[in-house]
Amino acid sequence: MPPRIQTRTVSNTLLPYLTATSSSSSSLSSLPSLSPTSSQCISRQFSATAAPQAQTKLRRQMFEWLDGEGAVFKHHIPGQTNYVTSLKQRDNEGSDKARPFPNNQSFFSEPILSEELRNEVYNRVVEQKKSARVVSVELGIDMKRIAAVVRLVELEKRQRAQGKPLALPYARAVHEMVPITPLAEKGERQQYHEPINDLPAHPLTGSQIFYPVPESRSFNRVEAGRVFSGAPALEQSEAAEISHPSDLVEKIIEDPNSIGWVGKGANARQILQPADVRIPHPHMVALERDRLANPNEWRAVADLQSKRLERQDKIEKERRERIQARREKKLTVVSPEDSRFDYRIKDTIYTTETTGTDGRGSKAAGRRYGVPHRDRTRGEVKIPTRVEA
Amino acid sequence: MRNRASNTLSKGKIRQSWSKYNLYNMQRFRSPPTTNRTFFQQKWSAKAASRAYHGEQVREGQWKRMFNHRIRSVIPMNASDLAADDGSLVSSGRGSGLDTGGKPAYQTRPIPYTNMTFAPLERRLDVAIFRALFASSARQARQFVIHGAVTVNGQKMKHPSYLLNPGDLFQVEPDRVLYATGYPKTPFERRMGRMGRRQAKAARLAEAEGGAPEAEAESKEAAKEDTKETKKEDTKETLQALLAQAKAVMSAGKETLAPQRKQELRGFQKAVRRVLSRSESSTVLADSLEAQFSQLTLLLKAKRAEKKPEKKDVKPRPEDAFATDKGDAELASAKEDTEAAASDKLSEAFAQATLGNDVDASELTDEEFETLRRALTQMRDNPLDNSKTYSTPWQPRQYMSAFAFIPRYLEVNQNICAAVYLRHPVARPGSAEVPTPFGESIATPAYGWYLRRRW
Repeated sequence: MPPRIQTRTVSNTLLPYLTATSSSSSSLSSLPSLSPTSSQCISRQFSATAAPQAQTKLRRQMFEWLDGEGAVFKHHIPGQTNYVTSLKQRDNEGSDKARPFPNNQSFFSEPILSEELRNEVYNRVVEQKKSARVVSVELGIDMKRIAAVVRLVELEKRQRAQGKPLALPYARAVHEMVPITPLAEKGERQQYHEPINDLPAHPLTGSQIFYPVPESRSFNRVEAGRVFSGAPALEQSEAAEISHPSDLVEKIIEDPNSIGWVGKGANARQILQPADVRIPHPHMVALERDRLANPNEWRAVADLQSKRLERQDKIEKERRERIQARREKKLTVVSPEDSRFDYRIKDTIYTTETTGTDGRGSKAAGRRYGVPHRDRTRGEVKIPTRVEA
Repeated sequence: MRNRASNTLSKGKIRQSWSKYNLYNMQRFRSPPTTNRTFFQQKWSAKAASRAYHGEQVREGQWKRMFNHRIRSVIPMNASDLAADDGSLVSSGRGSGLDTGGKPAYQTRPIPYTNMTFAPLERRLDVAIFRALFASSARQARQFVIHGAVTVNGQKMKHPSYLLNPGDLFQVEPDRVLYATGYPKTPFERRMGRMGRRQAKAARLAEAEGGAPEAEAESKEAAKEDTKETKKEDTKETLQALLAQAKAVMSAGKETLAPQRKQELRGFQKAVRRVLSRSESSTVLADSLEAQFSQLTLLLKAKRAEKKPEKKDVKPRPEDAFATDKGDAELASAKEDTEAAASDKLSEAFAQATLGNDVDASELTDEEFETLRRALTQMRDNPLDNSKTYSTPWQPRQYMSAFAFIPRYLEVNQNICAAVYLRHPVARPGSAEVPTPFGESIATPAYGWYLRRRW
């Protein structure tokens, strides 16, 4: 018969009293009722199984790593990145860009704008009144980022003036941990922050097309765009007018409607334009072409470029004003004196485009019989899809 | 929503979190094996691993609706290349034997498309807050949104699933960000904070009961005694002590222990308070840094070494008991003069007329001035304040740096804890903008899983 656990636990409950009375542990072990294996049960009196270790193996391994190799990640060294990839030296040899994830070879920790560079952008745009396009080319920062920086610095200035709380120590710590594009010293060349002429890959270019072209004919980017969008080839005379795809830029800026259309009705889409037109800074291609044509007349080329930019800006501005004026013409704003609200009143347009063929279209004005409110339709997303700035 | 996003060691899943468990899991993560496993099994495990990181707070059905097989990508164009060639160079002469080997004219690295599988989730407000380093996990970011600490374009937004549009500006309360990214409070600091709150409450109650005037009188008396005591101190000695403390505060680096540093800071803060409390105007402690600094230098009669003959400070005679009030008033007026940068001559004449005695001024070098100013600046920007929810003075939490990166599609201003979502993330040759800890061996099967039409 195996030894009974029950009796042992009972004897164990008595142990404190036994040890209190007995003078030493040797006398304890000499007691006939206690087997040598029961000594481990002293700590856990109600369990027959061996006591588990304080930590699991995984946990112990984790703390070993955190105290050993991983100890460097606890605190950062100002001005240096501190990513896990630094443990594997061989991975870091390939590129100088920091990778935060050891398994992902194609994600890099990109530099952010330094505080001085940010203020410089604001200074050039707001105080020197340069256009975002010009500042973008000067400093190598994307135009969208330029706009965002101006907005954020403006907000910061306002909050400082209002005495709102700021997170200055946090900002300093983040700028110490993350790579940074500094502002160039006086007389030095400004380091480019990011590529500014990114061409978005158009979905139409995803397909592979077999398109035979006579060898006698030059097949350039303009014609490739037409092939991708399924438009007929240009007439010989039209094609002869375009010496280089960037010639189209001026034309399109002056008249955006000069881009042709393919397809009918809902399938109608504009013909895919060459990369020279679709990049954010088409004027840079024109500048390069001028430079190639007149390699020694850099001053004349610079003058030509500034004139070109001025002209393009002027056209853009005029168009924006025209659109704004048209919008305002359609809209009547009524702002009563004792009201917190402005009322914007638009004329209802009652056409088949807005109301649909049966007069029940979802974009039509007013309530329509038999058309449930949008709130009531199934699967309607209720959370806002945009917030007006 | 129940939080299932635990950082277990046995599962070893990677989460959007800065916890040390996550760091350990991230560095030991290995791609699941593919040998002897069916394609379905490979895709399943890839999907499971990547969904544990990307939007685990999003239901699977919700995510499947967001998934888009079309992935945004860009090609950086070189203006001089475009100018040199209209494209006919690539297409010409293919049939007439002009083909030079197998090399294409433009060589590019492959675009890692499948690493962009979870790009639609990066539009979510909670994920964007985490990516902007405003929260230590996506779950915490979500909580900030729900608790109303986040605005989008200046309006409060309480939906973590709000999909940001290009150009949206989102902002988190700086205190929340400091809490999320800072050191947690120690039990001692928590106790101090509790005591502070209790005292403030008691003071409020006393004021409500109408015992305010008495308390005020008491405090005034105490302040008067204090000023009397401090006035007896030599200003020169005080200045030297203050400067030594400022130097200690500024020089404290990594090697000094945190408690010791805190003691130094507390000592410096006290000293500055004591000096400033001698000033008559009650708003000095809440004033701007410049005002405080000028007041401090004024009270301590500090001078720039080279400008000795120009500036003369006014010193009230403490021996004249009945004249103290008058003297303090004069001091205050003198202060206003200096702050307003009024003519020195006038104040000099004023001082000469009223007091007539010359002041022995302590001389400070420019460096010492600078040290004092920097110490004061740090005290203002990163103060010791137990009423905050994080350990003060603020310092970044442990292991933050291993996770600190800001993707290109965000422009962040850390000072005001605001960021702009510039555009949707894109892939480009050699790199993908969606931050994901998984390599191609997981990204591609996961993309394949969601490509399947299973309805």
